[in-house]
Amino acid sequence: MSGSLRTVGEALAERGVSRRAFLKFCSALASTMALPPGVAPAMAEALAKAQRQSVIWLSFQECTGCTESITRSHSPTIENMIFDLISLDYHHTLQAASGTAAEEAREHAMKAHDGKYLLIVDGSIPSKETAYYSTIAGISNYDMLMEAAKGAMAIVAVGSCAAFGGIPMANPNPTGARSVADLVKDKPVINVPGCPPIPVVMTGVLAHVLTFGKLPELDHLGRPKVFFGETIHDRCYRRPFYEQGKFAKTFDDEGARSGWCLYELGCKGPITYNACATTKWNQGTSFPIESGHGCLGCSEPGFWDKGSFYKPLSAGELGKASTIAAAAAIGVAVGAGAAMMSRSRQAKTTGGK
Amino acid sequence: MDLLNFARGPALQWSLAILVFGLAWRLTGILLLKAKPDFSEPRASGGFGGAMKMIMSRMWPKPEFVRGSVLDLALGYVFHIGLFLIVFFFLPHILFIKSLTGLSWPNLPNGIIFFIGAVSVAALFALLLQRIMTPVKRLLSNFDDYFSWFITTAAIITGLLAAAHVGARYETLLAIHILTVEALFIWLPFGKLMHTFTVFLSRGATGAAFARKGAAI
Amino acid sequence: MSTADVNVAHPLETEGTIHRLKKPAVRADRQGDMPDAQRVDIAMKNFVKDFGRTSAIYMESCIHCGMCAQACHFYAATEDPRLTPIWKLEPFKQAYKREAGPFALFYKIFGFKKPVTVPELEEWQELLYDTCTMCGRCTMACPMGIDIASLVSQARHAMFHAGLVPHELHAVAVRAETEGSPLGATPKVFKDRVEWLADDNDVEIPMDKAKAKVICAMSSIEIMKYPESIVATARILNHLKLDWTFRSDGYEATNFGLLSGNLQWQKDMSMKLINAAIATGAELLILPECGHAYGAMRWQGANLYGKELPFKVRHISEFLGENVKNGKLKLKPMGKSVTFHDPCQVSRRGGATQAPRDVLSGLGVQLREMSSEGGMNWCCGGGGGVVTIHRADATRYKSFQIKMKQVEDTGAEMLVSSCSNCRLTFDDSQAHFHWDKKLHSLLELVADNLIEA
Repeated sequence: MSGSLRTVGEALAERGVSRRAFLKFCSALASTMALPPGVAPAMAEALAKAQRQSVIWLSFQECTGCTESITRSHSPTIENMIFDLISLDYHHTLQAASGTAAEEAREHAMKAHDGKYLLIVDGSIPSKETAYYSTIAGISNYDMLMEAAKGAMAIVAVGSCAAFGGIPMANPNPTGARSVADLVKDKPVINVPGCPPIPVVMTGVLAHVLTFGKLPELDHLGRPKVFFGETIHDRCYRRPFYEQGKFAKTFDDEGARSGWCLYELGCKGPITYNACATTKWNQGTSFPIESGHGCLGCSEPGFWDKGSFYKPLSAGELGKASTIAAAAAIGVAVGAGAAMMSRSRQAKTTGGK
Repeated sequence: MDLLNFARGPALQWSLAILVFGLAWRLTGILLLKAKPDFSEPRASGGFGGAMKMIMSRMWPKPEFVRGSVLDLALGYVFHIGLFLIVFFFLPHILFIKSLTGLSWPNLPNGIIFFIGAVSVAALFALLLQRIMTPVKRLLSNFDDYFSWFITTAAIITGLLAAAHVGARYETLLAIHILTVEALFIWLPFGKLMHTFTVFLSRGATGAAFARKGAAI
Repeated sequence: MSTADVNVAHPLETEGTIHRLKKPAVRADRQGDMPDAQRVDIAMKNFVKDFGRTSAIYMESCIHCGMCAQACHFYAATEDPRLTPIWKLEPFKQAYKREAGPFALFYKIFGFKKPVTVPELEEWQELLYDTCTMCGRCTMACPMGIDIASLVSQARHAMFHAGLVPHELHAVAVRAETEGSPLGATPKVFKDRVEWLADDNDVEIPMDKAKAKVICAMSSIEIMKYPESIVATARILNHLKLDWTFRSDGYEATNFGLLSGNLQWQKDMSMKLINAAIATGAELLILPECGHAYGAMRWQGANLYGKELPFKVRHISEFLGENVKNGKLKLKPMGKSVTFHDPCQVSRRGGATQAPRDVLSGLGVQLREMSSEGGMNWCCGGGGGVVTIHRADATRYKSFQIKMKQVEDTGAEMLVSSCSNCRLTFDDSQAHFHWDKKLHSLLELVADNLIEA
C-alpha cells in the first residue's frame, strides 16, 4: 500500500471510478459536513489532483472497534475510494504485512514523509511512568506515539479512548491510561470521539483534512463542530415526548413500546455531543435511542465514570448514605452543645427565679 | 473534572451533607432549650390538636386581615405553589427525589412546568418590589431577606435558562442550575428559608398553648 | 419607702375621668444611674433569664412579612412602620441570636449581629411600652403563629432591669410593690372603703374572714374610681349565699410587676393573692373586672407559685356566666340593644369569650356584635400600662377612633364590657372626643338587674 504516491485522480481512474461517481461522493461528503453545494466541484478537483496522503494509523489500548466502525459504512465503492485517497502505510488490522515487516513499513513511511504524514491514533496510551503496560514490538505505546508525533502534520485521535482516555482510563485506571492530547502538546490534535465514532464522521473528518489541508473548526474539547456541535437531545426524534413529559419507565413497558423519551432509563442525550441523532448508524438505519436504549454519552470524556448508564441525569451521584447520617449526627451534637451553652448561661443568671 | 460532573458529584454530596448538618444543628439547638412547664389549670386538653389546628388555619389569614394582605397572599401563594409544582412535578426533579427516597409519582408536561416557572419568577420579582416599596416591609428587611430571595429566584431562573438552552452550552447551564440549587441547600438552614421547618414549630407551639387556654386559634 | 414618701415621689391624679399618676413635670424615663455598659449587660441577662424553648422558636421563625402591622390598633391609626409589632422585638432578636440561639457563637465571632446598645433600647422604650398593650391581636395575624405579645412581655423584663421603663409606669409599679396598690388603694384604704360602702349601701361585705370558700380580688381602679363594683360583687355573692370574703392581706388583682416588667415584683404581687387564698382555705378565687389581672393569675399565677394552685381561678364574667347558665342568677330582661367590648386579656388571650355573652343572654339584651367580634376584637388601647403614660395619650386617642367607629357601626344603644381598665380608657377617651357612648360594667348590670327572690 505504500511506495509511490499516485494522485488520487490517477488512483480512481485505475479502479474504474467514473468522474460522476466521484463528484457524487464529494457532494455527499460536502453536504454531510454542511458545506455549501458549490464546494463539491472544487473539492473534487482538489482531491483529484491531490497526492495520496501518507497516513500512519497507530493502535494502542483499543478494542479495534474504531477500525470495525470505519470499515462499516455506505457502499464499499466509497469506502475503497477513501483508501485510494490515502496511502495507509501502517494499520494493524488492515495491513497485509506483520511482524518486523510491518514495523519497517511504519519506520520507512515516517522517514520518507517526515513532517507530512497524517497520524491517526486509536486506543489510549499508558503514561510515561506506566509505559510498560502496553508495548508493540518491544516499543512502549508512549514511545511510539511521541516518536511518530514528531514528524506528523496533524494527529487525529479516533475513538473516545484516544480522544479522552476512554474505558481503559475508567476508575481505577490500572494502566495509567492517557489520551493523545494529554501527552502530545506540540502538534494539532483533532479528537473524533465515540465508542466507536460514527463511520461517516471519521471519513468526513479525514476528507476535510485531505481536501483543505487544515483542521476543521473544533470545539473546546478538540472535536469537529460540524459533527459534535449539537447534543443528541437537541436532534433527537423523541424530543417532543420529553417536552410533553412522556417517559418510558421500564424497558418494554407501554411507554417504551410507544417510543417515548428514555430520560428516566438513563439516557445521557442532553449532555452528549455527537451526530448519532441525525446521521445515525449502519447507513442511517438507526441509533441507540431509536432502538430503545438510552444514549450512553460515549463521545464525552469520562462517560464510563459518570454513574450507572441506567440512572437518570438528574439523579446525581449521591455517594454513601453514611455520609449524610454522619452529617446529621454531628449537627445534632453541635446543636445540643449550643443549647447546653445557652442553658448554662441561663442557669447562671437565674440562680433560682 | 468538568463543572457538570462537579455539580452532580462532590458538590451534591457536600451540599446535602451541609443541609442535613445545618438542619440538625439549628433544630436541636432550639428544641433542647429549656421548656417551661405550665402548672395553670387548662381550660381544655388537646394541645396536640390545637397545634395541628393552627398549622392548618394559619395558611389563610382571618377574614379581617384578608383585605390588608391581598398582595402578600396572591403573590406568596403563586410563588410557593409554583415552586412546589416545579420541584415535585418536573420529571428530572422527581427522579432526583426518587434517587434519594425511592418514591416517585406522575409528572406534568415540561411546557406547563416552564410556564409555571416563568409565572413564579414574575411573582418573586413583584414580591421584591413590594418588599422594597412598602414602608413596613422595607423597615423589617435585612440581608437575610434579600439573599434568600436571590438564591430562590436564581434557582428558578437558572432552571428556566437551562430548559430554554439560553446563554451557554446546555451542560454548562445545567451545571449552573444544579450548583445554584446546591447553594440554596447550603443556605437553607442558616437563613430565613428555615421557615420551611420552623413554620410547624411556631404555629404548633402557639396552637397548643392557645388550645390549652381555650383561646381563639 | 413610706406612704408619705411614695405620695411625694409619685403623686397621683385622682379627679376627673382618669386615675393615674399626675403628669410629671420632668420625665424620668431612665431609672438609676448605671453606666450604659452595665445597663445593656443587665438588660441582656434579664432577657436571657426568662427565655425558653417556645420563645426561641418564635425568635427563629419571623419571615419579615409585616402582616402583624395591620392587626395593631397603634399601627392602624398612625401607619408608622416603626409600630409594626414584630419590630418591637428587634433588639431582642439581635440579642437572642447573639446570646442564646444555636448559632450564637458564630454570630458573636463574625459580628453578624451587633450587640444591643443603650440608645437602641431607649429608642425602643416607646415601642415596647407606649405603643403596646400586649393585646395579642398581632399574634392572630402572624402567618407563622408567633405569639408576639408574649415576647413583648419578656422584653419588658430586660427593660425594667436596665432602668428603662417610662416614668409613670415605673412610678405606679413602685407604688404597687411598696404599698400594695398602684393607685393608693392601700390595705387601710381598702378596708375603710369597704366599710363605708357596706354602710352606705346597706350590704354585707365580709372582710378578713379567717376561713371562707370563696375569696375575691379587686383592682385598684375599681377601689378608687368604680367602687360600685365592690358593692355589686357583694350583692351577687350574698345572693348566691356563698361563703366568701375579701382579704386585706391579698386583694389587689392588678399586677404592675407584670406590666412594668419586673418578674420578681410580679411574683410578689401574685403571691399576696395566692397566700391569702391559701390562708383562707378558699376553693375559688374570683378575679374582678380587669384584663391583665386575669392573665396574671389565671394563666401565669401557678407558674410563679411553682406548682398547681390549690384553688380555682375565675374571672368575674366567667363566674357570672356559669351562674346565669345554671339558673342560680335570675336577671330582669333589659330589652336593650347592646354591643360588647371584649377585654383582650380575658377573651382573646384568656379564652373566656363566651361567658360574658352568656350573661348578656341572661340579661335579655339584643346583642349586636362589632365587626371583629370576640377574640378578634380591637383593643381599647389603654391596657398593659399604656393608659398610665401621659406622653402616649395622643397615639392612644388616635387608635381609639377605631373603637368608636366599631361601636357606632353596630347601632347599639348600650356599650358593655368587663374590664375596669378598658372602662377607664373609654371614659377618658369619651371625654376627650365628647362621645355619647358610655361603657357599662357587666358586673354592675348583673347586680342592678338581679332578681332577688
